[in-house]
Amino acid sequence: MGCQHSLQGSDASKVRTIYLNEPIRNNFCKNSISTAKYSIWSFLPRYLCLQFSKAANAFFLFITILQQIPDVSPTGKYTTLLPLMIILTVSGIKEIVEDYKRHMADRLVNTKNTIVFRENEWKVIMWKEVKVGDIVKASNGQFLPADMVLISSSEPEATCYVATSNLDGETNLKIRQALLETAEMQTEQLSSLSGKIECEGPNRHFNTFIGTLYLNGKSPVAVGPDQVLLRGTQLKNTRWILGIVVYTGSETKFMQNSIQLPLKRSTVEKVTNVQILVLFLLLLAMSLVSCVGAILWKEGHGGDIWYIGTKGYSSHSLGFDILVFIILYHNLIPISLLVTLEIVKYIQALFINWDEDMHYEGNNVYAMARTSNLNEELGQVKYLFSDKTGTLTCNIMTLKKCTIAGIIYGNLSSRSDTILDNLSASPSAITESGGFNDPTLLQNFENGHPTRDYIKEFLTLLCVCHTVVPERDGGNTTYQASSPDEAALVKGIKKLGFVFTTRTPSSVTINAMGENFTFEILNILEFSSNRKRMSVIVRTPTGKLRLYCKGADTVIYERLSDDSLFVKETLTHLEYFAKEGLRTLCIAYTDLTEKQYQQWLMEYKKASTVIQDRRQSLEECYDHIEKEFLLLGATAIEDHLQARVPETITALLNANIKIWVLTGDKQETAINIAYSCKLLSAKMPCIRLNSNSLEATQQAVNQNCQDLGILLGEENDLALIIDGETLKYAFHPEVKRSFVNLALSCRAVLCCRLSPLQKAEIVDVVKKHVGAITLAIGDGANDVGMIQMAHVGVGISGNEGMQATNNSDFAIAQFSYLEKLLLVHGAWNYFRVTKCILYCFYKNVVLYVIELWFAFVNGFSGQIIFERWCIGLYNVIFTSLPPLTLGIFEQCCSEKSLLRCPQLYRISQAGKIFNTKVFWFQCINALVHSFILFWLPMKMLEHDMVLQGGYTTDYLFLGNFIYTYVVVTVCLKAGLDTLSWNKFNHLAIWGSIIIWLVFFAIYSFLWPTIPVAPEMTGQVSVVLVCPYFWLGFFIVPIVCLILNLLWTSIRNTCNGTLLEEVRKMERGRVQELHLPTAFEKSVKTEHLQLPLSSQLHKVVFQDESVDRSAPRGYAFSQLEQGVITQEELIRSYDATKIKTSKSL
Amino acid sequence: MTKMKKTSQICQSKLPDNTALKQQQLPAYRLQLSATGVLSGFFATGAFCLGVGIILILSAKSIKEIEIKYTKICANCAELREDAINFDKECTCSIPFYLSETMQGNVYLYYKLYGFYQNLYRYILSRSNSQLVGTDLKDVGNCAPFSKSHNGTPIAPCGAIANSIFNDTIILSYNLNSSIHMEVPMLRSGITWWTDKYVKFRNPSAINLSSAFTGTAKPPYWSKPVYELDLEDTENNGFLNDDFIVWMRTAAFPTFKKLYRRLNRVQYFIEGLPAGNYSFNITYNFPVTRFKGEKSVVLSTLTWSGGSSLFLGLAYTVTGAVTWLAAFSMMAIHLMLKEKRTLFIERFETERDRA
Repeated sequence: MGCQHSLQGSDASKVRTIYLNEPIRNNFCKNSISTAKYSIWSFLPRYLCLQFSKAANAFFLFITILQQIPDVSPTGKYTTLLPLMIILTVSGIKEIVEDYKRHMADRLVNTKNTIVFRENEWKVIMWKEVKVGDIVKASNGQFLPADMVLISSSEPEATCYVATSNLDGETNLKIRQALLETAEMQTEQLSSLSGKIECEGPNRHFNTFIGTLYLNGKSPVAVGPDQVLLRGTQLKNTRWILGIVVYTGSETKFMQNSIQLPLKRSTVEKVTNVQILVLFLLLLAMSLVSCVGAILWKEGHGGDIWYIGTKGYSSHSLGFDILVFIILYHNLIPISLLVTLEIVKYIQALFINWDEDMHYEGNNVYAMARTSNLNEELGQVKYLFSDKTGTLTCNIMTLKKCTIAGIIYGNLSSRSDTILDNLSASPSAITESGGFNDPTLLQNFENGHPTRDYIKEFLTLLCVCHTVVPERDGGNTTYQASSPDEAALVKGIKKLGFVFTTRTPSSVTINAMGENFTFEILNILEFSSNRKRMSVIVRTPTGKLRLYCKGADTVIYERLSDDSLFVKETLTHLEYFAKEGLRTLCIAYTDLTEKQYQQWLMEYKKASTVIQDRRQSLEECYDHIEKEFLLLGATAIEDHLQARVPETITALLNANIKIWVLTGDKQETAINIAYSCKLLSAKMPCIRLNSNSLEATQQAVNQNCQDLGILLGEENDLALIIDGETLKYAFHPEVKRSFVNLALSCRAVLCCRLSPLQKAEIVDVVKKHVGAITLAIGDGANDVGMIQMAHVGVGISGNEGMQATNNSDFAIAQFSYLEKLLLVHGAWNYFRVTKCILYCFYKNVVLYVIELWFAFVNGFSGQIIFERWCIGLYNVIFTSLPPLTLGIFEQCCSEKSLLRCPQLYRISQAGKIFNTKVFWFQCINALVHSFILFWLPMKMLEHDMVLQGGYTTDYLFLGNFIYTYVVVTVCLKAGLDTLSWNKFNHLAIWGSIIIWLVFFAIYSFLWPTIPVAPEMTGQVSVVLVCPYFWLGFFIVPIVCLILNLLWTSIRNTCNGTLLEEVRKMERGRVQELHLPTAFEKSVKTEHLQLPLSSQLHKVVFQDESVDRSAPRGYAFSQLEQGVITQEELIRSYDATKIKTSKSL
Repeated sequence: MTKMKKTSQICQSKLPDNTALKQQQLPAYRLQLSATGVLSGFFATGAFCLGVGIILILSAKSIKEIEIKYTKICANCAELREDAINFDKECTCSIPFYLSETMQGNVYLYYKLYGFYQNLYRYILSRSNSQLVGTDLKDVGNCAPFSKSHNGTPIAPCGAIANSIFNDTIILSYNLNSSIHMEVPMLRSGITWWTDKYVKFRNPSAINLSSAFTGTAKPPYWSKPVYELDLEDTENNGFLNDDFIVWMRTAAFPTFKKLYRRLNRVQYFIEGLPAGNYSFNITYNFPVTRFKGEKSVVLSTLTWSGGSSLFLGLAYTVTGAVTWLAAFSMMAIHLMLKEKRTLFIERFETERDRA
């Protein structure tokens, strides 16, 4: 907050200079952060500004001001001000509570401790006291308090590891290295450190930093992103580091990125705003009608109304009359609607936060509704865009199965179910228990099975051929790998007794069944996604030269020698693995002769010195030696799905939600996951679009569109798979339309290799094209775009990355919680919010249109029929509770039914409960009610002789009759709308009626003791003893509501909807867990409604992009094109060396 | 009317109290609105309404009521009052009528005005409640255009309502025979709401009433000041005058009755008003033809439910009848559909089978 001005001027060109050890010269922003909206002083002006920028509130402010004009207001001067104040206070309290939480969170962060070097000693200070130019010491596991330049660290070559998942969502550790000039600096040198750092101004780019370090007496050196440690990152595997703070507080890159969420408004809210506008027009129309009425009345009666005084009546102009009537009818616009909705949605959000079913015990994370604006939008989702890694999967890979020499291992059928059950309990348990566990493999190995040698070779290969680095931590060995697949393989075979123990720059030592073997690593033929394989050339302990290779089935199979065995069996096994959704790798080796190798080595050296296209020439060179493979078998790795993902996806599909998987990952991986989570099935035809030119893309898209023919635009049992490169062309203006049509005709769409921007673009295109509600779910920084773009953004929380969560509208810990969030909370909230809104409109129209009816008998003079404060308090007291309970507790049917019968979601999805038609229906209903409510009592009292003792009555007597009947009718109408009555509904409905009667009783006795409401004096004692009052008390609400009741019951009887039947069954069920079988059938048959593939089989796809062949499931992930190549990384690693222990 | 059914809550017993709320598992009744559910309710409501309706109609029928419009009968007086200049000229009018049946019990005398808008906004506004409660005689802020007299003294009681008070005098006389005319004894007290007489209207405190009202002027249309409204009865004088109080309760509709007198049941009239010849002797002061209105006098008895209006009874009867009609037709629909209608579920099944 304290540095707004510098934020604005934060263009990259602005250079800042930081002087070392001269704190006085460094004058920058404080390190304390504030995410709160208000401070104590700014609260009132900002809050009022915010509130009155809402049209409805501004309207009521305007009315309040109008009321201050003398004589213009028939309802007194303060009758709108008071409810408005009450409403502003209530929502103000809500704002304060929310902002207080933010203040607390900020304080927690700001008061964390850190160690800085000041006045020649290390001092412990709070984060907020850290200044630019400070030298900070951080130790392992700590979060860094500000952006700083690394000076030195405990590790060799002054490197350190940081976890950046908070910033970019990437889970691998990043290496940072200090400059050579400062690498050796420790406490002693720090005080003598002098010089300055010049760097660019604060900006939001994580991966750039331009700076120069000027140390006195030394030549300036450039500082780049490799030396920068950012706020929000965590120090890992490094005992300590020293760093000079360069950016603090809101100028850090982390804070620069945490921009305010774009304000999302739900469809319901937008529709409501339009409806409020319609009501406003209605108000104007009513005022005009009344004005015309007044003129006509004066024409007819205005001859000589001597009792009003000569100048009394006709002196006022038309404009004045209009103001009078606007004030008279202004309550037509529900003053309490906004605040009621705010409260309702706030509590709905609390329900989401409290839900134990969405509580992930693994890391004790509850679901969180980060905004309460979009609760009802959850009930209308039509398109779901999901990220893959971390969202559908839990980012844990284990070796599940393998096939060696044509024999399949690890095929224990019962395995995965038990694991999935345990999954939610403890995520760490998976890695331990869920691994490869098939005793027959070891038995075959030990008992001299004919394939023993193959088994040995297979396991040895897996142990040697990889880029994993072992970290010894006491007795345990942990593996650091940039490829999760390799880590899974190494861990998997470790259990079988083949342990990878040591890596030196030139060798690998393994422990095979208790014996140590050391393999000399001669070359590493790196993985790339083009090559789809990686190999190592080793000298075995026996001195032979051998090339081990693992890779995709396609690339391995085309390099197999003719002598290779088990080719067919392995292929069948691969298909089987793929069907299960496992990631497969083929394993092969070849023996090399010395001569062959020497020859190749020459070639290799040449290739590695090429300056242009070195990578390509290296790959060509690798290709020359990777041939004549002998197949050993294949591995199958399970990329663990999160618990209940397939079930959730099935339920969501049944709920008529289209699921698109958008991933940055490779096509193969995405397809595997789609199979394993049942989004794709083996018999489902897949349209694959992979082309690298606009023409090809256009041609493929058009061909497919043509093939589909009339089925285009409908939902087909088809899958579309497209990669980011092709998508670029598919979104070309010429192709876009037909591509989107094609994509929307498919049941499942997989988009792979997407950039974050493309993800957002897809969401945007679908959002605009179909006009349906979209939901995006993801866990990483690369999903932020689509999360912000979609109508509803959901972040997976609890993993380390916070970026997605921070930008989301809802945060849940597991993908499967989406089922409850959408099907239960979404559907409920939609019902609740829409009913609440419609009801608020209804009750306001009912009461205030009565003023119009009364105008017809009072010569359009603007007289009110009720007491003025009763009018004002109607919305905030007497009928404030029913809409709240309706909005908070209403349940269309039970949670179980909603989950069991996802088809029910379509009701809210289609928005049938809340649209213009329903709104008008409700308005007309309210008009009819108000007419009955005025006309019946009017006719009753017209005769004037209704009281014992013959007393005659006044206009307010009629007003109190009507008012009471209105309150009763309106409350009972809420009861009719309520499908599920709990104790709060009873309290609200009966309570409201009682509150009014009690208020009425007290209010009639205030005058003259308290100078209010003289006209109410004594009303209660005549109204309540009047027999007509009680006779009307019964008949008037009945006449109003019997129409509704009749209408609803006839509709329910004649036109049984699924919802009605489900409700009927719920009612019939007594203490029974299982729904009747008929119910299950109804669910199934509804499901069968989906157009099935039978139709589709008739379609002949002519384009070769449509793939009906069985998948093989190759997938492998590895960091590519990093700063340091895999080879360099492992060559620099030596596990035998003890870490240089530097200490301060 | 509606059938409610308690749903079972499976997990609830295991959970602590507030969890049921937090997990949205509060026990709830499911409202089920379908033909079978509401039929019995409809029948019961219909029967009740019919019953009440018939009782109401019968009791309203038992009431004797007589109304005589006298604007036209006293046309000469009405004409005289057209012009405000003639305000001090007295005009009386006698209206004979014959009561064919005895009016049993309490009899009430009302005057009724047609086309007099006591519910006009500026009319209702034009009064001072704090003046009427006797606390502040000078408070005439809202009383425009009748707040102050020409010389600037505040008017008491101020405002249009008080100024336009109904000032006809109606005397009912009983003609026992052609020679003996006796005035029917009438009570002028007990015709206001209790709270009006004892709370809302208070005279300013002083030794005597006329001194209490010093420094105020009488309303322009009044012939005498407020403290001379009833010189015989101090409890009926000043702001406490019953006729004044009754007038000050402004009616809801342009046609309204106001209670004027009630029968003092003594002597001949101990049973009520006996049948026979009567006449109203009216001192005609209140001009109505200027706003195209009319005046009438009403004599009526009352029953437990009130006056002779049939409306509420008819409303009940019609509602009852319509409810029964609806119930029958709903039953018919239900029975018809019961045979034809298959459940949603079965419909799907047959569709699937056909496919």
